[in-house]
Amino acid sequence: MIKPVTRHIWTYRAIYLLLGFFVMACKLLPLGLDGRGLPAPDILLAVTLAWLLRQPAVVPIGAIMIVFLLADFLFQRPPGLWTLLVLLASEILRRQPQVVAFPFLMECTAFAGAVFTLLILNHIALWLLMVERPSFGPVLVHGIVTVAIYPVVVAVSKFLFGLRKLGPINVEATQSL
Amino acid sequence: MARDTPYATHARTVRHLLLTVLVLCLASLVLIWRIDNPRVERIRTAVIDRVVPGMEWAMAPVTGLARMADGFQSYARLYEQNQELRREVRQMRAWREAALQLEQENARLLDLNRVHLDPDLTFVTGMVLADSGSPFHRSVLLNVGARDGILDGWVTMDGLGVVGRISGVGGRTARVLLLTDSSSRVPVTIQPSGQRALLWGDNSITPVLKFIEYPEYINAGDRVVTSGNGSLFPAGLLVGHVVMTADGRMRTDLAADYARLYFLRVMRSHPGTMISDPGNLVGLPRPPLTRMGSSPEGSVPEGQAPEIEVLADP
Repeated sequence: MIKPVTRHIWTYRAIYLLLGFFVMACKLLPLGLDGRGLPAPDILLAVTLAWLLRQPAVVPIGAIMIVFLLADFLFQRPPGLWTLLVLLASEILRRQPQVVAFPFLMECTAFAGAVFTLLILNHIALWLLMVERPSFGPVLVHGIVTVAIYPVVVAVSKFLFGLRKLGPINVEATQSL
Repeated sequence: MARDTPYATHARTVRHLLLTVLVLCLASLVLIWRIDNPRVERIRTAVIDRVVPGMEWAMAPVTGLARMADGFQSYARLYEQNQELRREVRQMRAWREAALQLEQENARLLDLNRVHLDPDLTFVTGMVLADSGSPFHRSVLLNVGARDGILDGWVTMDGLGVVGRISGVGGRTARVLLLTDSSSRVPVTIQPSGQRALLWGDNSITPVLKFIEYPEYINAGDRVVTSGNGSLFPAGLLVGHVVMTADGRMRTDLAADYARLYFLRVMRSHPGTMISDPGNLVGLPRPPLTRMGSSPEGSVPEGQAPEIEVLADP
């Protein structure tokens, strides 16, 4: 007998994977090659962390691993590094049960903190590995754009996919899954 | 967390263990990539080769729509464009006449001097499938690959100017590292002064010109062509024109239309180079092997040997 909560979670897990592949495919489209304007936001990270902050159970470690490792390979990044950082960030955010009780502004702040920490750690790791890395200015702009896109991602998740924020009671219900 | 059953504790331990194993795996993947780069890059090429052509099929309508929207914007100034094009066509006719006359004269002079020319560069045309997907890497993926005889290092052009070089060849796809990528360095000559320079990609649309001996001989608008130094590219291919920036640096306005890279020509320029070992960066250089056996890396240059003869033969 499948409980409705379980079915709901598995549906959203499938949606997350499909959405991840769709976002990756869109980023790979050869549009805007002249590189003018702002660096594009990291929608994949925004979607992942938004869903994680709202319903931690719908983005399991495995899904994050698959999506981000594939993205690392496709987007010419050092394979595994960004995945590793996102995985650690997601686990840290997952361990904060009070985050789900946060008001939206606090949620945004948590997201912004995570994004900038990830970008800085990534930059340091590239420096340690002596890999050619972009200058820090565009990276910062990239982070700011990613944070700015967060409310849009949350709105789309809420109104298009119907992913509502969990209350403290629901958290305990899904913790055992 | 008030109700910690033994089952829940057990699950949490397993979860910790899983996380640790995953983190270690990913960290070692990064380190392996750093140490044995060519091999992992080949894995990457194989992954892209498998995934991206499939995606292209699914994303074709989206690409089409986006390009139509792009085209629709240009309808707004259809009349001006028409006038502009008519003017340009008139100018081009005049230039065409001049070019034909010069070509005939050139042919006559070459004949008088008995000059033997290399055969013209032949090319393979590929379609752009995808870009790098990251704001800090400038490269595109073509739908031609090893099965079409593409080799690493070949120069890629759109109709007019150099776009980049092949860097990474899969079975059905090949990656083109654009001149604007921050790891792209190409030796160029600036005409008419003949100064040598290095075209230094820095992730902007106008790459920097560096290491110029006498910058005072260079004016804005001078032509930048490939120099053929280091036999990286064939000499004399148009790259762009010099522009001076406000801070006194020299940059290149690229001739290729980077906003509309749909079809690219891969020039069959040289037999290709291949990185087959991780390099002797660490430790002392190894003594040469006495017995060259049947290693898979060793067999690759042998396979390319006929190609070298074909290219060298006029």
